[in-house]
Amino acid sequence: MKLWAFLLGVLIILCLDLYGCRSADEDAREGTVVLGIPADISTLNPIFVQEVTEGEICELIYPMLVDATFDTTIGILRFEPSLARSWEFRNEHRDVVFHLRSEAKWSDGVPVTAHDVRFTYELYGDPDLGSIRQSALDGLVKTAGGSVDVDKSIEVVDDSTIVFHFQRAYAGQLFDAGLPIVPAHIFNKVPRPELRAYAPNRQPVGAGPFVLESWKPLQELVLIPNAESVLPGPAKLERLVFRILPDNLSRLQQLKRGDIDLMGGLKPIDVSDVTSKAPFVHIVSIPGREYFFLGWNNVDGTTYAASVGASIRPHPLFGSSVVRRALTLAINRKEMAASLRGGYGQEALGPISSLFHWALNDTLAPLPYDPAAASRLLSKEGWLDNDGDGILDKRNQRFSFLIIVPAGDQFYLDIANLVQRQLREIGIEVRIQPIDGSVFFPTLIEKKYDACVAGFEVPLQIQMDDFWNSDLRRYPFNIVSFRSRRVDQILEKARASVNEIDAAPLWKEFQAILHQEQPCTFLFWSDKLVGVNDRVQGTTIGVLGTTYHAWEWHTGESSGR
Amino acid sequence: MAKRIAKRALNAILLSLGVATIAFVVIHVLPGDPATALISPRLSSSTIEQLRTQYGLDRPLHVQYGLWLWSLLHGDFGFSFSQQRDVLNILAAALPYTIILALTAILIELFLGSLLALLAVRTQNGFIDKIVTVGALVTYTLPTFWIAILLISIFSYWIGLLPPAQVHSVGAERLSSIPYAIDFLGHLILPALAIGLPGAAGIARFLRANLLKVYQLEYVLAAYSMGMSELRIFFSYALPNALLPVVTILGLELGALIGGALVVETVFAWPGMGRLTVIAIFARDYPLVLACTIVSGLGVIGGNLLADIAASVLDPRLRKEM
Repeated sequence: MKLWAFLLGVLIILCLDLYGCRSADEDAREGTVVLGIPADISTLNPIFVQEVTEGEICELIYPMLVDATFDTTIGILRFEPSLARSWEFRNEHRDVVFHLRSEAKWSDGVPVTAHDVRFTYELYGDPDLGSIRQSALDGLVKTAGGSVDVDKSIEVVDDSTIVFHFQRAYAGQLFDAGLPIVPAHIFNKVPRPELRAYAPNRQPVGAGPFVLESWKPLQELVLIPNAESVLPGPAKLERLVFRILPDNLSRLQQLKRGDIDLMGGLKPIDVSDVTSKAPFVHIVSIPGREYFFLGWNNVDGTTYAASVGASIRPHPLFGSSVVRRALTLAINRKEMAASLRGGYGQEALGPISSLFHWALNDTLAPLPYDPAAASRLLSKEGWLDNDGDGILDKRNQRFSFLIIVPAGDQFYLDIANLVQRQLREIGIEVRIQPIDGSVFFPTLIEKKYDACVAGFEVPLQIQMDDFWNSDLRRYPFNIVSFRSRRVDQILEKARASVNEIDAAPLWKEFQAILHQEQPCTFLFWSDKLVGVNDRVQGTTIGVLGTTYHAWEWHTGESSGR
Repeated sequence: MAKRIAKRALNAILLSLGVATIAFVVIHVLPGDPATALISPRLSSSTIEQLRTQYGLDRPLHVQYGLWLWSLLHGDFGFSFSQQRDVLNILAAALPYTIILALTAILIELFLGSLLALLAVRTQNGFIDKIVTVGALVTYTLPTFWIAILLISIFSYWIGLLPPAQVHSVGAERLSSIPYAIDFLGHLILPALAIGLPGAAGIARFLRANLLKVYQLEYVLAAYSMGMSELRIFFSYALPNALLPVVTILGLELGALIGGALVVETVFAWPGMGRLTVIAIFARDYPLVLACTIVSGLGVIGGNLLADIAASVLDPRLRKEM
């Protein structure tokens, strides 16, 4: 009896303490914002970042020459001074002279200078380091061998002045010059091969509005204000916590409970649940960054792969633009967007996002859903059900193909299943094969496929070369192998535009060509959804990321928890 | 006995190396590698090749194996591609959390299982016995992730008593020692229960059967006739003799848990070996996968050894065999 009484007493005290800890937790949240993220960060050195979240965190810690904003009324990036207080273009826009703020200091008190900028870009461009941001240096002056000539392309005039020399003028110069800068005096202490494992990658010295307070692997990463920052100033929050919660359901539950304040990657089906059970959470919808499509391999993948790209023949099924047009007509894209994305998906016309208002071709409309018209087009192309098995055929070839999707993602499988059902109605047989994520894109790049369901996130400046240039070897991400001389000319001219908006007529023609040729069936654009607790105020979450200008965030009263 | 233990420990190491070698071959045979996992439109093929060179993936397989083995023999588990730091540091951070979770789960299994078994035995064929028996069967067959989600739903969201994930609350580092420890304990309870409850159910059923036999033995009946208390009879006579096979099971389970309770650690965001192994596999992080394999193998073998030692403690007759 005494034992049971003792155990009961311990249990009661434990419960009281746990409730007490919960209260302490609530007190600890004052001035603190907690983001739930699905995976841990691997590094806080922007040279080596590989994922979006760690890139966003680096932008809160390290200085950048310019601060990007997105003008949503027009749809272009604009740049404001940051580490660079001003800049001017010279030499027919090929050179950009940046004047740095002399008062900027690293968190260890050392001044930020132009030497830091040059050193950082050396690291970005060093092939032995393998930074995934090397492409930002593609526009700079190169050696005869084709590699970036850092000595000639980045010139330090003095501690506060640096000049970027580009090969030619183009619209993305400021974007490419705006990468996070690392302190030279920290990272020039070790040989380059040892840089990836260097301790300051996990204990960063920055000059941005935040500094790292603590980082517990697989648990959380905590940023606090950098009191000495002038870029633009110390953050207003007391703490910004990135809490690692790999399970999506768990993150969602914690958002509804108020344990975390922000969560990205919400699904449309979660929205009504969140808004009804957690009215203190509002949903931010970010449109126009991601689109999904059915990729039809325009070339015979078997021949292409066997010849390592030397032999390019039209695909026996998808080599004809008439057939591709028929396939688009046979798929109800509007219904697909509605059923899979609810109110957070818009039927896609092409690869140019509605964000870029200036570039949209308003004269075009998505092809209607018209299976009868699809069947007529296929008949004209000779696809008939000659043997009466319900599947179209032509010269003894059945219209049957394999569509590959990334394994482990039900969303892609749902798309494929809808496509399979709708194409079956017009006599086309589709088989679905999930493929492991790590080999999905290599399979597409090597053209070892017939059809695929894929999606891309678009950058904030229109860049179509990677996806639509006819040089399939140089641009392997033209995964549908679309080739058009006119499109190549358009891409070349658009690349040469100094002012992005000047390329508008080119992009409109580009869209018209794709609309006619239907190299792939564009399905829909999908909004990115972020859940935000009302207590987090001053947010400007949008196309520039979840933690954009997080230094302006502050906490206030919430309508709920 | 010490010699035998040392010999078994050496065998354990060699066995783990063998398992890791198999894992090395298998993971390299699988399509894809850490570099291809990063392929995207903004990443040129030359950068992919640079990363392969950085990670040593451009070398022949036998060279990679030789270098890996050589490093391992010098206590260097290599550099993690996905976490971008030394594997040894990663393991050192994750292993304590897994050990704590595993030990707590084992204790829950042992004590709760024993308690349920005792209740069932003392009310044999009665209402409580039937509740315990059926309840244990149901709990044992439920999937672990379902139990985990159920516990979170009840204790975290409905009652709101226990936290649903992680090892500490936000800002816990500002608490003093005892509240900090209680905060950790609060976070430990649910994942330990998620693992411990099915185990306790299994042990309860197994132990019940054993106890029924033991309670019929003469020395137990003699203890009753001498007027000993129920609890004393249970702990001094019945349980040690009924527990022998259970100890073996627990030892094996402890070893398996050292490799990480994969599902539970993911659901509860517990930063242990299970989560680490999943991350490593999906990232094709070869050094980390191999290190986790070795640790898991050592854990299983070590758990086996511990079970044998515990059994020999409980049954002196087994000490000779050790």
